[in-house]
Parts: sequence; structure tokens; C-alpha cells
Amino acid sequence: MTAAAEAIIKGPRQLREKRRRNARPKAQPMMSGLFLAIVCVAMLAPFIWTLLSVTKPTDVAFANPPVLAYEPTAQAFVDLWQTTNFYQYLINTGIVAVGSTIVALVIGLPAAYALARAPGYVSAILLILALVFRSLPRFAVVLPMYELSRQLGIHDTTFALGAALVAINQPFSIWLLRNFFVKLPEQIDEAAMIDGCSRFQALRRVIIPMMGPGILTAGVFMFLFAFQEYLTPLILTDTKAQTVPLFIATQLGQTLPMLQQAGAAAILLTGLVVLFAFIAQKYLVAGLSDGAGK
Amino acid sequence: MRRREYWILILPSIFVMFGLLLIPIYRTIEWSLKDVNYGEAGTFVGLDNYVRALTDPRFGSSVLFTVGLTLSVMVVVIVLGYILAVLVNNLGKMRPLVLGIILISYVIPNVVGATMFSWLFDGNFGGVANVVIGWFTDHDVLWFTETWPNRIMVGLNIVWAMLPFSMLILLAGLQGVPREIIEAAKIDGAGTMGRHLHIILPSIRGMVGFVAIITIMDVLRVFDNLIPLAPNAVLNGNETIALYTYNMAFQDGGQELGLGSVINVLTILIMLVMLIPFIRNTMKEAKSA
Repeated sequence: MTAAAEAIIKGPRQLREKRRRNARPKAQPMMSGLFLAIVCVAMLAPFIWTLLSVTKPTDVAFANPPVLAYEPTAQAFVDLWQTTNFYQYLINTGIVAVGSTIVALVIGLPAAYALARAPGYVSAILLILALVFRSLPRFAVVLPMYELSRQLGIHDTTFALGAALVAINQPFSIWLLRNFFVKLPEQIDEAAMIDGCSRFQALRRVIIPMMGPGILTAGVFMFLFAFQEYLTPLILTDTKAQTVPLFIATQLGQTLPMLQQAGAAAILLTGLVVLFAFIAQKYLVAGLSDGAGK
Repeated sequence: MRRREYWILILPSIFVMFGLLLIPIYRTIEWSLKDVNYGEAGTFVGLDNYVRALTDPRFGSSVLFTVGLTLSVMVVVIVLGYILAVLVNNLGKMRPLVLGIILISYVIPNVVGATMFSWLFDGNFGGVANVVIGWFTDHDVLWFTETWPNRIMVGLNIVWAMLPFSMLILLAGLQGVPREIIEAAKIDGAGTMGRHLHIILPSIRGMVGFVAIITIMDVLRVFDNLIPLAPNAVLNGNETIALYTYNMAFQDGGQELGLGSVINVLTILIMLVMLIPFIRNTMKEAKSA
């Protein structure tokens, strides 16, 4: 599975080697190279501009037309750390993302295994329900959750937000994990059970360890989805359990120096996510291209 | 697998999905038939909310805007995604770097990406977009207060956010097209355009369809991107269906919770219709296995 992802990231071997032999550039590759360069700049432009804006001293940061010659400063980052609860929001985001990913895996793995190994009408109906749940309008479930969390007195807690995300991401995770289990031959289960394992022991000791890359892939996506979420924390949190994306969005209506802090927060968050994506790139690409395989 | 084992394995997941998804949906349907607010029992009003929603011109224009946005973004994302996938597929050593750069906008939160995107156009942040446009014309574009410039900016942002997904899926598709077929077409005298239109595209049509359906579903529920990009959405007529729902059912204490719930119910019905081919596939797969 990850071998296919590697091929997508690095490209076929012949291509890499052929290039080395005839390195003379032609007109067409020049044109496509230029086009790709423009696309890359356009994709990066928002990050570059934000980075410039937040490293400018406050008096020129919002000048129009923009000032490009300036002495870079990290003041916005210092202010972000000292005058706002940014680190608290970062901790909230981390707790919710990690917690909901782990719980979703613990609940989703056995279910996905059962769905893969015991096809039939019950499994088919559950998979269809999961498909429907996955494409629901978010407000249709989050607004009732808002009412429920107020009634239970858990509104604005990381617990309520995490529980909501476990449920919201459950359909996606059982589908993804089920597709990985299906690829694992059933003989492995049988061999383990002949050797004296019960069904649950076989799952825990033999099958789940063999599913390593699949579990990592599902985990990477659930973590990313929870980290990216804006709508759910917007409804289910207030001030205490706020997450970073929500914090950045609520800073928008504020005064200009606070906008610079929001920009600093955006840059920090982007840095973190890109670092995570870089480490997990194989699993990200594997999960994405596997989803298309259906 | 024994029946008892099956249910033990599957029950926690069912419990979560039914308790935290199905019951809320039931509540939404109930709300759609009532004059109600959060925490209240409310009074039953029949289909009154449905009539009001379907005759509200603001809802009508939000449907039109959302559908138009979805279709135009889908076309751009597929065409541009395909071109990019082909170009990236021909790259050698630069490939991982270019791929990495293009994927950044996919992994960051939508609302954060849209915030940074909006600053490219924001006069308060130096208005880079207008500086660039100023090189060609004298026209000063009001990106946030004029309807069409705002629409274009929102569309560009969604393309920016969805392009990586489309490109990556199509790239995975291109990887699966056997080189022999392309070589054979070359020998038979097919030109570049002919090869793409008659050989490569038909063999990855499954991938193109997948990108189309995911793009449609994602753009139909666009919400996050509009918070930073369209602060005047209601005034400009640039409200999406999801934003309309939010404004009705949650903003200012959710005075129109019933009306907002109607939109949720209608959206669920539309999604169900769109899912029919996938539901049929799943049924078939489950039967044959």
C-alpha cells in the first residue's frame, strides 16, 4: 500500500533515470516548467504574504500600497504568546485531535474488522448508513449536539468537542479501515485461531499488528480532520475549549495589531500542520489514492 | 464468525453512530416541523417552516449561488487538476518538492487558509491583488463589498483549497495507465491532444468521476471559507446554503431554528439522491462477497 504511495510521490524509476541521460532542455518542458512554477507561486502566495505581514513592524504592516523594505521583527509572535491564550487553544486543539483519533480507532477497528470479515445484509446496511452519515450536512448533527451539551452541562468542554468529532469521523474511519482489512487474507485469521487464539486474541495479537500502515493512515486522516475542524468547535465551544482555527477566525473582527497576532497564529499553525504532513506524507498519499480506488 | 462475536465487535461503533448521529438527525427533523428554540419543546406547526423556507427569496438566491459556485469550481478543479497531474507526472527529481508545495493548501484548516487568502485581497493588508491588477488597468476592485468580485475571490479560494485533492487523485490515476498503451497510440500516429482525449482520459474516467462527486459534495456544503472571505455575504447575495442555515438557526440566538432545520432536512434528501449509485455499488459488493 505504501509502496504505491511512494511511486506517486517520487514517480516511476525509468523517468528519474531517463532524465539524467538526456538532460538537454526542449521548448515544451520549458513551457510546462514555467507553468508549474507559476502554479507553485500562486499556491504559496497566501503564506508568503502572511509571513511578510506578520514580520513587519506594526506601523508599516498595514500600509497601502505595501511596504516591502523593512526590518523584520518577531514582535507579533511574542505578543501572540504573551497577550492571548494562544497556547491554551493550541493545547485544546492537540487534546481534541489526539483524543478523538485514539478513541475513534479503538471503537472503529473492531467494527471495521467485523464488517470486512462477515459480509451480509447487516454489514451492507451498516456500510450504507455510514456512507450516508459521512455526507450529512454538518449542522444537522451539530446543532442538536449543541442543545444536548447545554442540557448535560458539558458545553464548551474539550470532552464534548472530542466526543462529537469521534462520532462525526466514525463513518469515514470504518470505511477506510474496512477496505484495509478486506485486503488482508482471511487465512491469517484462520491460522491464528487453529494455533489456539480466540477470535479476539487473533485480532489483537496477529491481525492488528499486521495492519500497521492501514491504522496509521486512518489515524493520520482522523487527526488532520479533527485539527482542521472549524464548524463543530464554532457551535460546541465558547471561550474555554476554543481551538486554534476558531481563535484565528474570531480575531478577524478585531483591531489591526490583533490581526497581526492572528496572522502569526496562522503561520505557526501552518508550520505545525506542514511538519506533520511531511512526516506522514506516505500515509496521506496512500489514504487519498486508496479512497479513489473504489 | 459467530453471531455473538460479530455484535461484540460492532456494537461500540453502532452505539456511537446511532447515539451521536442518528438521534441528532431525528431531532433536526422534529425541529423542522416546529416553532421552537434550543432547550424548548416547541409547538408543532406542520409544514409551515417548509413553506416559508421554499418561498424565501433569500433561500432561493443562496441555492442558486451555491449551485453555480459548485459547478464552476468543479470544472476548474478537474481541468486544472488534470493538466497539473500530467505535468507533475512528467517531472523527475523535482516531483516530490512540487507535489509537497501543491499539497500545503489541502492539509491546513480551511478557515485558516481562507483567512490568509483574504489578506492577499484586503486593502488593510496592502491589497497585493489590486497592486498587481493596477499594473494592467486603473480599475480598483472592491473584493469584499461588490457582488461579482467577491464571488470570484471566493471561487478562487475554493479552487485553491480543492485543487491539491483533485491533482493527487488524477495523478494516482495516471500512474495506473499502462505505458504500452500510450506508446502504441504514439506509433499509430495519435497527437498529444488525441492521446489525452481518446486514450488517457477514458482509462481514468473512474477517477475523474470520483473527483467530481467529492468536489460537488464539498462545495455544496461550503461554510468555513466564507467567514473570512465574505463578511457581507447576505448583502451581496453570496450566502451559501450552509451559511444561510447558520444565520437562521444559530446566529443571534437561533430565532429561526425551525426554518434552519428545514434546510438541513432538504439537504439530507438531496444528498441521498446523489448517493444512490454508491449505495447500489455497496449493495452489490456486499451480496457478491
